[in-house]
Amino acid sequence: MGEIRKLKSSRGGDPPRESTPRRLAAIVAGDIAGYSRLMQIDEEGTHLRVKRIERDLIEPSIVGHHGRLVKTTGDGFIAIFDSPVEAVRCGIVIQQNMVGRNASMPKHHWIEYRIGVNLGDVIIEADDVFGDGVNIATRLEGIADPGQVYISGGIYEQIKHKLVCGYESLGDRKVKNITDPVRVYRVLPDPAAFNRTRRRRENILIALLSLFLLVIASGVLWYVFWQPHGTVGGQASAPVSPETPKVLSPPQPTVKQAAPQIQPAPSGAPAAKQPSTQPQFAAPAAPATQSTSAVREPVMYMLRGGSFTMGSNDDPTEKPPHQVTIKPFAISQYPVTVREWNECAAAKACSFVASGNAEAPVTNVSWSDAKQFVAWLAGATRKAYRLPSEAEWEYAARGGTQTKYWWGDQFLSGMANCKNCTDIAAAEQPIKVGSFRPNPFGLYDMGGGVDQWVEDCWHKNYQGAPSDGSPWVEGDCVSHVIRSGSWRNDARYARPANRDSYDTNVRYQTHGMRVALSP
Amino acid sequence: MRITRLIVLSVALAAVSCAAHAQGKPAAKDAVLYFVWPQDGTVIKGGFWCRFGLRNMGVTHAGDDFQNSGHHHLLIDVNEPLDPNEPIPQDKSHLHFGAGQTEARLELPPGKHTLQLVLGDAKHYPFNPPLVSDKITIRIK
Repeated sequence: MGEIRKLKSSRGGDPPRESTPRRLAAIVAGDIAGYSRLMQIDEEGTHLRVKRIERDLIEPSIVGHHGRLVKTTGDGFIAIFDSPVEAVRCGIVIQQNMVGRNASMPKHHWIEYRIGVNLGDVIIEADDVFGDGVNIATRLEGIADPGQVYISGGIYEQIKHKLVCGYESLGDRKVKNITDPVRVYRVLPDPAAFNRTRRRRENILIALLSLFLLVIASGVLWYVFWQPHGTVGGQASAPVSPETPKVLSPPQPTVKQAAPQIQPAPSGAPAAKQPSTQPQFAAPAAPATQSTSAVREPVMYMLRGGSFTMGSNDDPTEKPPHQVTIKPFAISQYPVTVREWNECAAAKACSFVASGNAEAPVTNVSWSDAKQFVAWLAGATRKAYRLPSEAEWEYAARGGTQTKYWWGDQFLSGMANCKNCTDIAAAEQPIKVGSFRPNPFGLYDMGGGVDQWVEDCWHKNYQGAPSDGSPWVEGDCVSHVIRSGSWRNDARYARPANRDSYDTNVRYQTHGMRVALSP
Repeated sequence: MRITRLIVLSVALAAVSCAAHAQGKPAAKDAVLYFVWPQDGTVIKGGFWCRFGLRNMGVTHAGDDFQNSGHHHLLIDVNEPLDPNEPIPQDKSHLHFGAGQTEARLELPPGKHTLQLVLGDAKHYPFNPPLVSDKITIRIK
């Protein structure tokens, strides 16, 4: 830990030379606390575990936060980032993931990183980075407690209003071989976060139980009150499980209308508004209250459009990757929920009646059902609501990225609701919308969660596909395109390029939708 | 506290699985699900039409809850056993034919592949016991 890197920056006044490009960078230095002790206990095991952590966690986290891994030493690593916010966020992600990885181990086998982050003007070479900025980062890492992220004053000034974490000032510290004292802050990445995940698991259990009781209660109610009056909706509206006959859609709350939110298309970096990088089980933003219209409109995000490469080489159906230009359009921030859907059912405009948690995405809808919903929404609001085209969906899902997933090429657990991707048990219904991190466009559940119908007819690949972002349709097609993958598909299906098809008029329990709006 | 929680969970799970059990409807006793074409061991060049056969039961649309009927599902290279208490999955190796199709055009990469048919009920659950065809192996040149 913390070997002294030779200070090449001491010849301060020299003009910059071609061979040694200098630049300002956020430097992240990390190393494992008590590495030699761990090696003593179990040399091979520790080595394997460290390599695995580097491969599965450190490298993808750095790439996912737009950084570059400069080098790894036996027990540590050095990475550089353009953005201090991303650098600190990456540090927090690594630390929080390590908590989870250590949880199943006895304490003396824990691998704990100490991480220091500093902002400095450094000399970058292909496989190393030099300058006192680097030395300060390694010094910070040296004084950090295991499992902590320490940042310098320079970083703190850049991120204090952008990253919602606690910061504890540790005052000015004199560090070895650096003349001026360095102001040090400890990052408190939402100290309650870890406890909360544990409590969350309990809450899920309790929720399951109460749901179960509720089902029984509603079943009884149904028998007592509803049975004699006959059923509404008939076969088609039968819920997935016959044990959950929901009495009626819940009474309509106060009339709300969401003003379409205009969001300037972001420039690649995720908006810096999430409080922490752990998946937040936050309630969706409450739409602005207005009482002009009788229907609750989905929260819509305006996207500026532009050119992107649609498709990939990962699956024959996604070939060939091709350039598509998207016109400006708006897309809903979340998939359509059970509550939103049942307003259409209550208006007798949708023949399917959804059941289950009102805030969960609607499921078990066919493409024809989805068309009924958009037609009703467009009519009720007098706005051009419609299904997105397949190209628009992929453009929105990529959020300006060209990687396999919107956060990078490696899958990261806890980023999407897919099979074996989270510690949430598989259930009859996906968990409520907006439970995972939004993509760089601020959209939730674009990948995993529910499959989402788009306007396009199914074509087995992109040979002959339009390049103007319009839906690819012809006459009567028997099957349409679904996107996103569901909570019952594995991580490959959560890729933005993934596509699949399903019969137009057939309902299936993982199929839902989201809506688009032409400006 | 932990133990009570575990007990509560297991009770809830047991109840849920009971509920799920109620899904599986019995298929007709003498029903047979089979491949008309290809047969086990067939070697095929390129894409092909796979044709499904069903005796003593009827093929209908998904969603139609008629006695003694169901719709086809084709499992390609699936090795994990079918869960009779869950709807048949839908992904690239579990193809659904909910519009009542009895054939499908398949284009598989060269090599050995297994194919198996499963009949699903109105809500895509397998029957109880599951009505499945023999699992056949074909080779694509």
